[in-house]
Amino acid sequence: MRLERWIYKLPLRLRSLFHRQKADQELDDELHDHVEQKMQQYITQGMSQEEARRDALLELGCLEKRKEECRDARQVNHLENFVHDIRFGFRMLCKSPSVTVVVVIAIALGVGANTAIFSVVNGFLLRPLPVPSPEQITVLAIQQKEAPVGSSGFSYPEFVDFRRQAATVADMFGIVLGTVQFTANEQSEECAANYVSGNYFTALGLQPAVGRLYRSSEGETPGEPLLVVLGYGYWQKRFHGDPRAVGKQILINGRSATIIGVVPRQFQGMYSIFETHVYLPMSAMIQEESVRLFWDNRDRRGILAFARLQPGIRLREAQSSLDVITARLALQYPATDKGFTVRAIPEKSARPIPYANNFFVAVSGLFLVLAAFVLLLACMNVENILLARGSARQREMAIRAALGAGRARLIRQMLTESVLLAILGGAAGMLLGMWASRLTSSIHLQNIPLHVNASFDWRVFAFAAASALLTGLVVGLLPAFRASSADVNSVLHEGGQRDSPGIHHPGFRNFLVVAQVAGSFTLLVIAGLFVRSLQKVQTFDLGFDPSHVLNVTMDPHQVGYDESRATAFYRELESRVRSLPGVQSVSLASYVPMGGFPFNRPVSLEGLPTPAGQQAPSVLSNSVDPPYFETMHITLLRGRIFSAADNDTAPRVAIINQTMAARFWPHEDPIGKRFSMDGDRGPFMEIVGVTANGKYKTVAEDAAPFFYVPLAQNFASKLALQIRTTGPPESLAAPVKEQLAQLAPGMAIVDIATMDQLLAGAFGFFAFRLAATLAAALGIMGLILAVVGVYGVVSFAASQRTREMGIRMALGANSRDILKLVWLQGVRLIIAGVVIGIVAAWALTRAMTHLLAEISASDPITYITVAIILTAVALLACYIPARRAMRVDPMVALRYE
Amino acid sequence: MSKPSDLVQGTLDLLLLKILALEPLNGFAISLRLKQVSGDVLQVSDGSLYPALHKLEQEGWISAEWKTTENNRRAKYYSLTRPGRKHLEKEADNWGRLAAAISHVVKLKET
Repeated sequence: MRLERWIYKLPLRLRSLFHRQKADQELDDELHDHVEQKMQQYITQGMSQEEARRDALLELGCLEKRKEECRDARQVNHLENFVHDIRFGFRMLCKSPSVTVVVVIAIALGVGANTAIFSVVNGFLLRPLPVPSPEQITVLAIQQKEAPVGSSGFSYPEFVDFRRQAATVADMFGIVLGTVQFTANEQSEECAANYVSGNYFTALGLQPAVGRLYRSSEGETPGEPLLVVLGYGYWQKRFHGDPRAVGKQILINGRSATIIGVVPRQFQGMYSIFETHVYLPMSAMIQEESVRLFWDNRDRRGILAFARLQPGIRLREAQSSLDVITARLALQYPATDKGFTVRAIPEKSARPIPYANNFFVAVSGLFLVLAAFVLLLACMNVENILLARGSARQREMAIRAALGAGRARLIRQMLTESVLLAILGGAAGMLLGMWASRLTSSIHLQNIPLHVNASFDWRVFAFAAASALLTGLVVGLLPAFRASSADVNSVLHEGGQRDSPGIHHPGFRNFLVVAQVAGSFTLLVIAGLFVRSLQKVQTFDLGFDPSHVLNVTMDPHQVGYDESRATAFYRELESRVRSLPGVQSVSLASYVPMGGFPFNRPVSLEGLPTPAGQQAPSVLSNSVDPPYFETMHITLLRGRIFSAADNDTAPRVAIINQTMAARFWPHEDPIGKRFSMDGDRGPFMEIVGVTANGKYKTVAEDAAPFFYVPLAQNFASKLALQIRTTGPPESLAAPVKEQLAQLAPGMAIVDIATMDQLLAGAFGFFAFRLAATLAAALGIMGLILAVVGVYGVVSFAASQRTREMGIRMALGANSRDILKLVWLQGVRLIIAGVVIGIVAAWALTRAMTHLLAEISASDPITYITVAIILTAVALLACYIPARRAMRVDPMVALRYE
Repeated sequence: MSKPSDLVQGTLDLLLLKILALEPLNGFAISLRLKQVSGDVLQVSDGSLYPALHKLEQEGWISAEWKTTENNRRAKYYSLTRPGRKHLEKEADNWGRLAAAISHVVKLKET
């Protein structure tokens, strides 16, 4: 039966929608007809014509209202009103363009900042892995007692055992990270590589963009032909996207290899934050290890393992299976497989790299909150503007109410306007956000292929749209309520006198301004703290002199040199470079401070064996040759530095730093003491010198123990050449490359960078600089919004009181008094805002302490500076409308309406 | 003028539907007829009449047609639709039960 009703309902609805005028006319006719008939009835009953007419009309009531009620009963109003509201809203916006522009810009800033930051966070944390059913992918992290989760990986035999035994619950695959020298078309360069297990691509379910990917049967047989899969970005860069790259013969570390395919574009490896250039089979892993060691040794843990859960298997079941396997293996191989558990973590929870602590998430959270703050400030600004406009439109609203508009209707009308503004602002903000997030892709880190994927997907658009709509609703609600509550009588009779107190309530607007000033203060304090933190970090004592040092890293192993040939090569290279003009000194080291990943060695003291069940303490170390200390200007406190006598036939020696001396040999002279980095039974090294402390891995690290060993006694193939120059270090780059090309054509330079460049990089100031820049940008946005807000409110309040000021002037006040009057109002608001801001900033920055380097979160200099700047700028913003008020002619003011 | 409560509105709808069940009429005639057949007891105000009629039309219980009357003027005539007739029967039943219940309660003997 319901369907049958629609036969009648539908034509009506359509007619009311499309033939509105005709339907309106008919309604009009119908009601008029009724009045006519009633009139006739009264006339026949004996009334006069006018009386009859009057009575008939009275009984019907207000014609317009009846018509509106009939239209309401038809319920087409919703759609019709909506369309009408939008058109009217647009007209209103065009009528006051300056207000519209200010509001749109404010909202655009807020939405833009939020969207940009969200897009970066989305790229790292939210975007799913571009494989089928990404929720099935888990990270398998090894948890050793007292070591952070995932700090060690699986050994190959272990990995194989786990994979076989867990096959029913999960398809396990693994990778090893490394770098290789990639030679094609006579050009060599260093590439980021992933050595992957045979089932890597099949478990992930990837389809190649070109060519093919590894089959599960390939990849793990030592000695098999070397097949290479390219990363999409690298394929574009190196081969310009040429599909004929597939099948090409190239060299990997000097070995012949064939390219078999390219991964799809969206796939960046398991760690999307770092770009992977090439994928190699695990069978190619014969780098620093001898072949057997990698395949057979259960103790060489380098494999990072993942798994795709089998369909229908839940995480908990997989975890229990893993626990069972772990226990079984611990019994089978008690020497190596004891003392750890394997935790299965969903891949999405282990971003941006598994095994990082929640630092990244915390920082992202902080910046999202800061951006939300800016949006809040923008909202407050817009709110004030809309409230001011609302009180100016009360007459209009009152008339509408008199004409029959319900309160809900009025509110809807005003909300539509504010939502329209928000949509315009949101669209502008999205464009702004797109531009800003494109900037992030221009961040390049020295020697780390950082890949920031801040592209806009549906999540980011949804976020921007939601922010804009929410802003529009939140901001429009209060002014809509206020304006629609106008009492017709009072508004129409007062005739728009602006300074009667009943109509506008300055209280809330003032509250908003104070809140804005406080909010801006907090933002600026946070920005200031980050900036000061950056300043501090840049003045840290590094323990060496970074100016005028050029670092060139290379690896003779990649072109097949063995130990003796490599040693001879380096010796020759060093002496050649030393004789170049502009070179003060030259040295070699296995890695450079702030330039990479130093080696961690377990330290065992002679005569103090490590207690059973405990691990020997881990200490960072570097292998250097004797000129290193002089080239890097490292201060020696006691003893001596290495000499040419400390070669591989002489007793083993080491040099430690102050922290290590204090930690392992407190209250003793460490010179002459011996320790080992190969376990309790040695071989032991004798300490011959103590250096001052310095920074080794990152600029902001705490004081850490560190030791040096001579390169002559600890051969490493991949070394960095340090060159201290008299002039600018970059100028030596070309001559050194030339020397290298002459000595060893075909050996690629792994990395070349000045010490200052490294300091500005990922292990150096980069993070601090980024945080300071971002926070400062947000802080400035907040400052602008707050100042505009103060200006707006003081200006508006002054204009409201124009008549009052005219009266005062007529009664004898001079212009200075007027100036003071207006200005003081602003001053009070600003001072209140700053005071509240100090308290708020102090409270909110408690959690930030560990993000700052050596600056307390209550650093007084920052607070004072921000207070001065904010107050000064805000006072200036008050001064302008105050001056304007001061200049008004009293005669004009009195007549102002 | 405030909107009628639900109970009153429902009753008004019932009355209008019944009147139209007797014969198709225009708005003015409906209110006149209702007054007549109820012996002047039930009088619907003009302000409530038309919104109610339009709502009934919107719901599909009644349909309207513009016709020329005897006096050669155009008037909008409402008539009951088939679903409207069914709805009327149902509502009339409900009303009967409600009225009987109320009478019963009111007639209870007080002690």
